[in-house]
Amino acid sequence: MIEINNLVKRYGDKKAVNGISFTVNDDEVLGFLGPNGAGKTTTMNIITGYLSSTSGTVKVNGHDILEEPELAKKEIGYLPENPPLYTDMTVNEYLDFICDLKGVAKSKRKQMLERIISLVKISDVTDRLIGNLSKGYKQRVGIAQAMVGDPSILILDEPTVGLDPSQIIEIRKLIKSLSKSHSIIISSHILSEIQEIADRVVIINHGKIAAVDSLTDLSKRLSGQTKLMLTVGAPAKECAAKIQTIHGISAAVPKIVNNKVSQIELTLVGENSTEIRSAIFFMMARENWPILEMRSLDPTLEEVFLNITAGKRRA
Amino acid sequence: MYAIFKREFLSYFRSPVGYVSIAIFSFLSGFIFYSQFSAGSVNIGSEVISLRSFFIIIVPIITMGLLAEDKKRGTDILYYTTPVSLFNVVVGKVLASFALFAVMFINVIIHIIVTVACGGSFGVGGVGTIIVFFFMAFMFISMGLFASAITDNQIVSAIVAFLFILITQLLSVISEYAYTASYSIVKVLGVKADAATSFANAIRKGIAWLDPFVKTQDFRLGIFSVSSLIFLVSVGVLFMYLTFRVLEKKRWSQA
Repeated sequence: MIEINNLVKRYGDKKAVNGISFTVNDDEVLGFLGPNGAGKTTTMNIITGYLSSTSGTVKVNGHDILEEPELAKKEIGYLPENPPLYTDMTVNEYLDFICDLKGVAKSKRKQMLERIISLVKISDVTDRLIGNLSKGYKQRVGIAQAMVGDPSILILDEPTVGLDPSQIIEIRKLIKSLSKSHSIIISSHILSEIQEIADRVVIINHGKIAAVDSLTDLSKRLSGQTKLMLTVGAPAKECAAKIQTIHGISAAVPKIVNNKVSQIELTLVGENSTEIRSAIFFMMARENWPILEMRSLDPTLEEVFLNITAGKRRA
Repeated sequence: MYAIFKREFLSYFRSPVGYVSIAIFSFLSGFIFYSQFSAGSVNIGSEVISLRSFFIIIVPIITMGLLAEDKKRGTDILYYTTPVSLFNVVVGKVLASFALFAVMFINVIIHIIVTVACGGSFGVGGVGTIIVFFFMAFMFISMGLFASAITDNQIVSAIVAFLFILITQLLSVISEYAYTASYSIVKVLGVKADAATSFANAIRKGIAWLDPFVKTQDFRLGIFSVSSLIFLVSVGVLFMYLTFRVLEKKRWSQA
């Protein structure tokens, strides 16, 4: 569990982090979102003890990172944006070195490393020089490094950046499997990634928290109303005007219009979208307009994100 | 500390640095020994003293990467985010370079064995110069480590270390210049000749006092002075402390 209280980091007269407070619960994956330069990395660096905050406190499982740094650091595994890898060492040598740094007892070492290596799937490259590995493998070695010493908290700064799609999926799977036994903070600006793994999201912008919420609550809070996208084989204007007469539909805006097919965006009011959708179906059937597609438009994290950070960007 | 030491020491042999510095040292010591040997009179003390003047080449080579390389690779983050303390990092790195010097020194030990086996002498003066050699190596390594801490560019680090050692070696020359310069400055300011001379003399003495080579020159005669060894150690520890502060500062930096 990490408690972050009123964190401030000042660089000259610019505040990179300006009064951030949030909590990470046990065995929870917290997504940490924000545009570039929002202060994500700075915040993570402060939590891990790489930087010191100008003011504010970070408590890791009850240990203050400044007052009891050694106890606090034992609880944290950190994968920075650029994995701290020694390119001139083999994977085995490197992980052994990390064990030395983290003070892992020799007796536990072999078993722990075997477990980590099989978990992050790097057993086929353990004797190769890190400098010769592909980016995906380097990233996995970076994650392995963070896991050495069995910390209860993992902090991953953009773990999938620069990887190809299949590697991204694998790393994501890996993080998901780790989340069963670790608290994880994961930062990213790839929103779909966060959407897939995180239980809760903290969105920061200009060093301040813009929103903290679970993903579903976040979408709901921002949408307020549900939208439907309807594709019908009908003249658009006529159809839109007809549809608006259905009770519960507040707006029908034609989006794409051609001779045969039109797409109409519908804004629904109220909870009962099932009833409205059946009403639409029967009306279209009566008019002999075939429904080609009907889907609900839940706001994506992209929209939520843009909505929250919009207007707050500096020109 | 042992972890850092082990990694740094072994890393000398993962790159050309270790081999190159050992090769340079072996060549130089071998050459000096050979010329003495072929002349028929070997003096290990003067061999070691001659080798000291090559610190200026060897030390920058072995210290330039100690911290600069870490910063460039981003691996310095490990020192801050793992339970290892920065103090241990500094000590571990100095020990690693020191150990490399010890490996190089095997050359001289072989020379000693050959000398003694051939009926030459290796006396207390030789031991004295060897003691000074290692204390000086420690001092210069600390300077080099500091030079490596203030930049993330190995070349810059090597040049700064080179300058540090150059200045140390030229201290007696510098003291003479300082004497002349301070004398003329005070003279221009209207101070009497007597007073000006004694002032300039004090400055010359002050700078010359810092010269580690002058301080330890009696060791070759078998006259050991603990105070000069303490001086060397103090300068080394001072630079280690400065290195530690530079590393600490990064964490608190607000710029």
